[in-house]
Amino acid sequence: FCRVDPYGFERPEDFDYASYEAFFSRYLVVLTRRAIKWSKLLKGKNNIQKSLKGELLRKGEEHCQLLWLSVRGALLGHIQTAGSSGLWPTRTAEGRTEGVKCVVILPQNMNRTFPDNVKFRKTADPCLQHTLYNVLVAYGHHNKAVGYCQGMNFIAGYLILITKNEEESFWLLDALIGRILPDYYSPAMLGLKTDQEVLGELVKMKVPAVAELMERHGVMWTLVVSRWFICLFIDILPVETVLRIWDCLFYEGSKIIFRVALTLIKQNQAFILEATNFPDICDKFKQITKGTFVTECHSFMQKIFTDPGSLSMATINKLRETCREKLLSQG
Amino acid sequence: AAAGGRSFSFKVVLLGEGCVGKTSLVLRYCENKFNDKHITTLQASFLTKKLNIGGKRVNLAIWDTAGQERFHALGPIYYRDSNGAILVYDITDEDSFQKVKNWVKELRKMLGNEICLCIVGNKIDLEKERHVSVQEAEMYAESVGAKHYHTSAKQNKGIEELFLDLCKRMIETAQVDERARGNGSSQSGIARRGVQIIDDEPQAQSSGGCCSSG
Repeated sequence: FCRVDPYGFERPEDFDYASYEAFFSRYLVVLTRRAIKWSKLLKGKNNIQKSLKGELLRKGEEHCQLLWLSVRGALLGHIQTAGSSGLWPTRTAEGRTEGVKCVVILPQNMNRTFPDNVKFRKTADPCLQHTLYNVLVAYGHHNKAVGYCQGMNFIAGYLILITKNEEESFWLLDALIGRILPDYYSPAMLGLKTDQEVLGELVKMKVPAVAELMERHGVMWTLVVSRWFICLFIDILPVETVLRIWDCLFYEGSKIIFRVALTLIKQNQAFILEATNFPDICDKFKQITKGTFVTECHSFMQKIFTDPGSLSMATINKLRETCREKLLSQG
Repeated sequence: AAAGGRSFSFKVVLLGEGCVGKTSLVLRYCENKFNDKHITTLQASFLTKKLNIGGKRVNLAIWDTAGQERFHALGPIYYRDSNGAILVYDITDEDSFQKVKNWVKELRKMLGNEICLCIVGNKIDLEKERHVSVQEAEMYAESVGAKHYHTSAKQNKGIEELFLDLCKRMIETAQVDERARGNGSSQSGIARRGVQIIDDEPQAQSSGGCCSSG
């Protein structure tokens, strides 16, 4: 293993090569086995049974690219039936930035997106900063209500690293922001505020001791989890793990974020409860996103579907509704 | 040393537009680190610093916040209960100075005159590209009852002075506050806006007699 991972991220000084190698050799077996299944499945043309596909995604067959291409296929279909031209917007925008909310801060954000990734360096050739800029400007034109919000740079950046394609990255970004995530990035950030509260309610139900600790010390959820939502675990969990989570996110929707969050909290319940004050609690929430439990992405993904117990979309929708109303009434 | 022997806990919040150097200021002050390629701050975080000012022990909790305006939607929780606010602008960016003015208005409206305000022109290592006049900035600060500072997180200039000065002002405010509520109450406990003044054993002065970090 070298100093730079396959996605271009420099490994930290204290990177544990030995245990990563041990993990990866095990994981490679899983990936290969699943890749064979996937290729068989995809050869079966359009008749992939939905349930079977979901099942495979959970198991992480098709690590990323193939899967996303198929999701994108569905997505493009969706866009066309919705009557949109489906034209790649940089063509129509011609790089113009006027009229796009917050786009002025984009240039300064370029150097601050993955400074630890060699492909995003100004000196890189090709330099992915240009691709990133194009995708985000195009998205700002496409979704005027949102424009540009910090956090989207990381998400678009990941999509570019994986698809290596500007246009596909754009459509996947649109799928996430326009369809899969509820209003996280618009100026009022109401969807984000709501989901943070929803997580709080779910923790109350499923890990009450932690909810009680947070309340006792006056730690608001936004202080410890807003980045989990805004960046969809980028720069919080290891790359492999984030990609596995995203596989499921694209297919099963935003409730996956709650499953991951609840799993992290539940699994580390005893550890979090050792905290005796406000700074301690914030620190624990940083710690629980590190270590073997999250690096072992295959077993981690199995855990997220069992550990938190049942989590229906109906429950989440109901909580979203009550939390949103509460937030709106608070002004 | 009899006059000392007290400890104070203060909350300080850094506010200002994106990319003006808020995170860099905190990192330089608390950990003496500077990294010119760190990622955009998206979630508020805080670092702590302990000082000893003339025998008075001060625990600072310094809150760093996200700069992009829409993140303010996540609420005033970051500056609520703050004893001090450091409003940062980039001397090469006129807009960032205008944003400081907005922050002053908001803080004065929400917290009144109790909060100690510092206005900080950061990146003085880029003096050649200055777009905010020193005189204008200093006059503005004075007009709103704030103190103005010039810093460079990159070259570690002006930062110790900024925090030390702010601490002294917060101590003063806390003591005035305490006196106003009756001299006798030595066990002030939790004062207004979360200042904690706790009497404790007089402490041996550190050799410098000024401040020590921990």
